[in-house]
Amino acid sequence: MIKKIEHIIIFTFLTTFTLITLFPILNVISISLRTDNAFQSNSLSIITKSEPFQDLNNNNKFDKGEPYEDINKNFKYDQGSSLISYKKLFTETKFLTWLKNSILISTITTIFGVILASFGGYALSRSKFIIKSKVMLGLLITQMFPATMLLLPFFIILSKINLINSYLGLIIIYSSTALPFCLWQMKGFYDTIPYSIEESAILDGCSKWLIFYKIIIPLSYPALVITALFSFMASWSEYIIAAIILQDPNYYTLPLGLKMFQSSLSTQWGLYAAGAIIVSIPVIVIFITLSKYLVSGLTLGSVKE
Amino acid sequence: MKNFIINKFFILLSLILFSCSDQSEEKKTINIWHQMPYSQREIFQKICTQYEIENPEIKIQILYRETEELRSSFQSAAMGGSGPELIYGPSDQVGPFSTMEIIQPLNNLLEPEFINQFESNALIKYNSKLWMIGDVIGNHIMLIYNKDLIQSPPKNTNELIEMGKSFNKDFDSDGKIDQYGLVWNYTEPFFYVPWINGFGNEWIINDNIPNLNTQSNIEAFKFISSLRDVHKIVPQECDYETANAMFKTGKAAMIINGDWSWGDYKDIINFGITRLPMVSETNRWPSPLIGAKGYSININTKDDKLLETIKLLKYLLSKDVQLIYTENLNTQPSNKLALKSELIKNNELLKESSKIIEVGKPMPIAPEMRAVWDALRTEYQSVLGGIKTADEAAKSAQLNSIKNINNMNEVLKSDYSLTILKLIILILLIVLIIKLKGLIKVTYNDIKKDSFSYIILFPSIFIVAIVVLYPFLYNLAISFSNFSLKTFNNWELIGLHHYINVLSSTIFYSVLFKTVLWTSINIIFHVSIGVFLAILINRTLPLKPIIRTLLIIPWAVPQYISALTWRGMFNQEYGSINLVLNKLFGMSPIQWLNQPLEAFSACILTNVWLGFPFMMVIALGGLQAIPQELYDAAKIDGANRWQQFKNITIPMLLPVMIPAIVLGTIWTFNNINVVWLVSNAGEPSDQTHILVSYVYKNAFNLYRYGYSSALSIIIFLLLLIFGINFMKKTNATKSVY
Repeated sequence: MIKKIEHIIIFTFLTTFTLITLFPILNVISISLRTDNAFQSNSLSIITKSEPFQDLNNNNKFDKGEPYEDINKNFKYDQGSSLISYKKLFTETKFLTWLKNSILISTITTIFGVILASFGGYALSRSKFIIKSKVMLGLLITQMFPATMLLLPFFIILSKINLINSYLGLIIIYSSTALPFCLWQMKGFYDTIPYSIEESAILDGCSKWLIFYKIIIPLSYPALVITALFSFMASWSEYIIAAIILQDPNYYTLPLGLKMFQSSLSTQWGLYAAGAIIVSIPVIVIFITLSKYLVSGLTLGSVKE
Repeated sequence: MKNFIINKFFILLSLILFSCSDQSEEKKTINIWHQMPYSQREIFQKICTQYEIENPEIKIQILYRETEELRSSFQSAAMGGSGPELIYGPSDQVGPFSTMEIIQPLNNLLEPEFINQFESNALIKYNSKLWMIGDVIGNHIMLIYNKDLIQSPPKNTNELIEMGKSFNKDFDSDGKIDQYGLVWNYTEPFFYVPWINGFGNEWIINDNIPNLNTQSNIEAFKFISSLRDVHKIVPQECDYETANAMFKTGKAAMIINGDWSWGDYKDIINFGITRLPMVSETNRWPSPLIGAKGYSININTKDDKLLETIKLLKYLLSKDVQLIYTENLNTQPSNKLALKSELIKNNELLKESSKIIEVGKPMPIAPEMRAVWDALRTEYQSVLGGIKTADEAAKSAQLNSIKNINNMNEVLKSDYSLTILKLIILILLIVLIIKLKGLIKVTYNDIKKDSFSYIILFPSIFIVAIVVLYPFLYNLAISFSNFSLKTFNNWELIGLHHYINVLSSTIFYSVLFKTVLWTSINIIFHVSIGVFLAILINRTLPLKPIIRTLLIIPWAVPQYISALTWRGMFNQEYGSINLVLNKLFGMSPIQWLNQPLEAFSACILTNVWLGFPFMMVIALGGLQAIPQELYDAAKIDGANRWQQFKNITIPMLLPVMIPAIVLGTIWTFNNINVVWLVSNAGEPSDQTHILVSYVYKNAFNLYRYGYSSALSIIIFLLLLIFGINFMKKTNATKSVY
């Protein structure tokens, strides 16, 4: 009985907390459904009905319930919610091209990242290098430099090797930005796999490649999935680096495309918010499908056997 | 099998690489980068397509960037020897561009007869050379009023105040004003400076000398504050987006905004325009800044391309093209012939607009203006925030402008510290070589012993190294150099000047303190909320997977989107946070964004929201790895919940959390997005900066690249020391090593 009450309390708390957490997201949805292309609203409701906002002629007929004449065409002020921004997004903008580019870049980055991290992490976990601790620390150090100051040199080096305006340049940078984390995380996971399994395989005469491929990889699915997720996230919503590398709108990724709706002092808020929602959906779907692995696979430093 | 996958992968890779470089070479491509607002882009596209039809050998490639980004990406591109042939933007970008020598003077490229076709305020000159020809004149601010509410707009400030008061309305009598008399983005100095002229004095002399310590500036400071605090005809907090939305939804009778907003209002509201009302005390009109927008030619455009570019430029500036803009967007053309056309003469908006332009002043374009704007913004916002009096602010605005200008223009010479630096580098190199020699030898033996590990690790290390190493060394070099606005193309090493400068300034320590505060508060909340939620979720609960997934969402949504959304939610009157606080707890609205402490808390709140899911997931993973037997055994021994938590959960969770905390600390320390977007680049008065945003501002807004690089190297060293110490102290990373 006590347990039940406890459950109810916890459950209510979690639900409330979740709702608070989701509140800003609901806000974005609400903006995407508005038709007046504005960012602010003083109502908390997400969907608004199409109705005259106020009687702006100040004779307050409307408030007193008298028959309302829309002399000033105040109906223009609030036309209520509609999906028009979403429709516009797909029909009037290059949204599908950006989507295609983003999917392509993110997928390749992910494959690249998973391959590199699964190999590298294994080496860091199993072998007894002399320089191992230096490598681990070195990876951490790469995260310490303020990324904004790297932009100018990035641009210079990429234009020297002719990788401006190409997917490859972007993929290389994205792979390497997520890689230090992924290596740490793969290593942490490999550490949890008992070495005894490999020892017995070695006794059976398996080569190191075979052990890695046949035994370790199948055991590491959860961690590989997480690594994939991180690589994907690093490239999917990245804006700043993409903005300096891609200079042809046909190569634009989603974040770059979305930024096109935003200009100083006149932003297409409806389109921007609608795009933001659609950009977030794939990530959320991936999170939901992978949530099973998310918990068991994410082991930065692990509890050893 | 694996080889097969790898092969396939590389084939795919090369395909992508190939497809990217595969551009049709038969056509000459001319690139134009611009910052036109959404409504203008469509028309621009049509105009360019028309040109392509008439000149089939030309292909025009158009790229949009937001104004500030356009400037910085054009700088890096032109410096790297590439970039677009034509760049379109506001006239004030001419100052920095011509100083950096990344655009070409047009005097020699175009014949005088052509140049003479244009109104003089569209010919943007700097240091007596012509750098840009505008196709649109204006960009000036004015009073825009809702014609449904106002028949005749106010002529002077007394009328403005009276009229404003009569339109402040509380329709539902809940004590909150539902309709304001006047709104505008009054915290931004661009919208403020016309008033200084209105009170009598010039605020800038000869295009680049600030004149801010004047009675007029003090009067104008007081005037704007009084509109808000005494007459209460403008809202307490009002940024551009809020003002715009209020005017569009009829919640404000008047707005001060620029000609660019007409297109936005056209179909939504019945509006009229007029001059900013005359200042009653002086009987002078405020002078809005009159700018132009137009084209400049990249310094890297040469030979044939240059000829084609000039041809295209002439087309884009022609009378017919300008009139297309006028027809669709009511823009004021710069071509004298276009100005004579019927279309202009019959346009009511333009007629009124030209009356406004009569009292305006040309937009100053010198690169020093950035320094002046920056100093003025800071002080102006201090006055509005009640931190300084108008007199103090006027004084320090002047002083800081001069200081900023000197910083920007200084061309540093090398000093004795360069010799010291060279010596240090030499010694370091020797030590490194000796150390490396030993290391290489050992590693070489190691490789022979365990080649497998090295082979599979090498690609990762290689790719990280090439991406990180070069930029790092480049920055290191710049931090010892005099790289700045004036030495963009010919910088040289000067020594330790910037390091000494950073470490001896008080602002560095105050920003560092804020950064440490920011990081620790964030991490404490991230970890405690994350672990707490993880423990709750880890029980068997109904709907557990759904709740877990929903709680991860803040992590999944792109950061820049959530940050902007939070900024909107923090608005004092219309933001949902204050609305909720008011509805649930009856709290009076908090001024989140225009008080330093509140703005900083707003940034922290946003980042806490963004960061806890990561820690939660890590903690969940750690919790699940704790064997249930441990708890069972503890229960048998009679341990209560708290004892179990203290003696089992925490020690078992710690090794998992420590690396996450280290990483989280580094990420939070260097997280620029949230601070930059939520506080709108450090507002109010640069009080919300953390180190990275301070670096960004100095490098990209004030052109102090050397200083910023030195600062970022210092940030790096700070984090390095922290990281190593923390890991050593906690010892918990043993499992990682």
